[in-house]
Amino acid sequence: MAASMCSRGLGPWVLSRSHALPCAWRALHVSAACAKNRAARVRVGKGDKPVTYEEAHAPHHIAHRKGWLSLHTGLLLGSALWFPLRYGNLDGQDHAAERTVEDVFLRKFVLGTFPGCLADQLVLKRRANQVEVCALVLRQLPAHKLYFLVGYSEALLSHFYKCPVRMHLQTVPSKVVYKYI
Amino acid sequence: MRMRLVAARSGTPRFYSGSATLPKGEGADVTGIEVVIPKRKTWDKVAVLQALASTVNRDTTAAPYAFQDDPYLIPTSSVESRSFLLAKKSGENAAKFIINLHPKYFQKDIAEPHIPCLMPECFEPQIEDISEAALQERIKLKKVKASVDMFDQLLQAGTTVSLETTNSLLDLLCYYGDQEPPADYHFQQSEKSEELEEASEENTEKPKKKAGQQLGATWRAKNNAERIFALMPEKNAHSYYTMIRGMVKHRAPVQALNLYTELLNNRLHADVYTFNSLIEATAMMNEKYEEKWNNMLELLKQMAMQKVKPNLQTFNTILKCLRRFYAFGKLPALQTLREMKALGIEPSLATYHYIIQLFYQHESPSKGSSLVIYDIMNELMGKKFSPQDPDDDMFFQSAMRVCSSLKDLELAYQVHGLLNTGDNWKFIGPSHRRNFYYSKFFSLLCLMEQIDITLKWYKDLIPSVFFPHSQALIDLLRALDVANRLEVIPQIWKDSKEYGHTFRSNLKEEILMLMARDQHPPELQVAFADCAADIKSTYESQDARQTAPDWPAGSLNCIAVLFLRAGRAQEAWKMLGLFKKHNKIPRNELLNEFMDNAKASNSPAQAIEIVRLASAFSLPVCEGLAQRVMTDFAISQEQKEALGHLTASASDSDSDSSSDSDGDINEGK
Repeated sequence: MAASMCSRGLGPWVLSRSHALPCAWRALHVSAACAKNRAARVRVGKGDKPVTYEEAHAPHHIAHRKGWLSLHTGLLLGSALWFPLRYGNLDGQDHAAERTVEDVFLRKFVLGTFPGCLADQLVLKRRANQVEVCALVLRQLPAHKLYFLVGYSEALLSHFYKCPVRMHLQTVPSKVVYKYI
Repeated sequence: MRMRLVAARSGTPRFYSGSATLPKGEGADVTGIEVVIPKRKTWDKVAVLQALASTVNRDTTAAPYAFQDDPYLIPTSSVESRSFLLAKKSGENAAKFIINLHPKYFQKDIAEPHIPCLMPECFEPQIEDISEAALQERIKLKKVKASVDMFDQLLQAGTTVSLETTNSLLDLLCYYGDQEPPADYHFQQSEKSEELEEASEENTEKPKKKAGQQLGATWRAKNNAERIFALMPEKNAHSYYTMIRGMVKHRAPVQALNLYTELLNNRLHADVYTFNSLIEATAMMNEKYEEKWNNMLELLKQMAMQKVKPNLQTFNTILKCLRRFYAFGKLPALQTLREMKALGIEPSLATYHYIIQLFYQHESPSKGSSLVIYDIMNELMGKKFSPQDPDDDMFFQSAMRVCSSLKDLELAYQVHGLLNTGDNWKFIGPSHRRNFYYSKFFSLLCLMEQIDITLKWYKDLIPSVFFPHSQALIDLLRALDVANRLEVIPQIWKDSKEYGHTFRSNLKEEILMLMARDQHPPELQVAFADCAADIKSTYESQDARQTAPDWPAGSLNCIAVLFLRAGRAQEAWKMLGLFKKHNKIPRNELLNEFMDNAKASNSPAQAIEIVRLASAFSLPVCEGLAQRVMTDFAISQEQKEALGHLTASASDSDSDSSSDSDGDINEGK
């Protein structure tokens, strides 16, 4: 389509249909590519794919049908003013990125520490100088093993981030399916 | 406050240092009243939090905060709660192990101010060369063998080690008895050593103590500490002190006393801690009680001569040793207490614990127990304590034990009130002691208190504070029985399933027996029957797990009766069938009730079935039942004949030799 328009307007700059060789030909795209949006969406399948409420809703539903998975005040003006304990300088506007990096580490860490036990994404809340990790956990492991892992991750993360890290678990028998798509 | 002062200051000059009074010549509106302005208060950093915390009471429906708030993760018995807390702690230890293994990842310090407990720790000595600094570092890291080696190397190299360093090396050796600290020292709480000490106390309370039973390190003769002590060119008093205290700690009283005489020969004085150890040493010697007490008095006199003031530990040590003297120790104990008061030393909870143990050593009050507990509680009312002695947390357990043996509820309330004053709740001790305290308290409540208040305590304490034993629940059931409140029983059964008593057969038998004993109004009967059905299902699930079915006879009887009374005749008849299966004999009253039921439903077939069952078990009541059937029911001729056969066979077996009938009955059992 683009090639034909080009050739119509500007003469034979593009190798358009060559009458001699009936082979496949490559066109030159010069308009902007508009790829489909694939962020945080589960593609529709045959109707047998179970998805949780979190997965079923796309990111544009945040604040309409979904909440946030990570709650902190890194984007507020002067948000670091009250808690210089963790934030060093008092300017306060550029810490959202650091919080996000910490979040990525926390999610990977907990995903690995509780192998196959997480039923949904973690919810991370930052309150004063603490980090609260709220996890939805399957009942695969016996309770004392879950307590061992909780104690381990709390201690390790506290030492790593130099602030109190608390884990709150909620157990479900299986992944909570919202719908099948 | 500040604003007011500033505003006032802007006016006429006044003096506000300390408490100020208005000067007299102020004006007509000031009468002769003196206004005292108090000093500015300084608040603690967490004062607001403490004030807020004081408005919130314990939530009686929630599990302790250390557990995750989720039904799968809340413990249902004391064993589980202990195992969960231990699992969590062991997870923390695993994390600390990893952190100390790779400290370079945890060095970035973003906390302001610096939090030292969140930094990795270094347990290996850094200084490698042979010097006194290296020796001091090893001592600080508590590496016994390494520091002894370093010391020897220093001596071989010819360098003299300073007196303080040698003294601190001696301290290390004497504290650990020339052995390494336990391998998991950095991770272990002191729980293990507490349990060892408790065990050793209980061991020593027995009159004959075998030497082989001793726990912990014993002081070997000519170990490193003694060797280094002998090598020291100059010794000061501190060296003697540590040696004596180390010897006493590791059960070498004879050497300790010898060293003490050597100390006196060198014209040095002992300090109060050394005297405390020496008192313990005299109690450890193998002598008669009077001699030991006289030796202790000697030591105390020497202490007074050397002008060493005794402290709380001195008296506590004396009382601890007197505890083992049984009846002989009572008078000296009271003398000690009086001396303590005379010197103005405030006794701690451990003091009172030792006194209670001394005076109430045997459980039975048959010998006429003393009233010292009442004096103690009067003394302690409303007092707040702070931790001063490691044995402080044993007081409440022994006090409640005494209350329980004396069966005095008022006293128990006083003890509990003391526990709830101020910060005294911290002295309840570890979980097994807390469980013991509350079990005794609750049993006493069930025994002595009115049922409404008991039920209130039940809701308050269980399960948020402790998990009851089956015996505590049985006590509660008996209390309900006495107070004629049997309608609460289904609720109690439902609760006890949650605390892990689902398969506790004595509890189930007690419940069934109480429910089945008397007749009750119909709604209650229905509730009881539901409860009985529930218990029956637990028995069945228990059977599924075991190979040999084992239902107690009482339970079978009670369940059948309850079904019958609630009008669930079908299930009741099924129960009768179960008797044969489990080889248990139905009681006579049960069969009579079945007969009544058959009469009420007017079915002679059932009546004959009952007689057949009775004869199958060869019960003597069979004849009576048969008679009853004949008179009460309208039965046909064949049935009469069948009945005749049954009774005949029953009477035949009766008239047979007794061994036969016994054999039958035994089979039936």
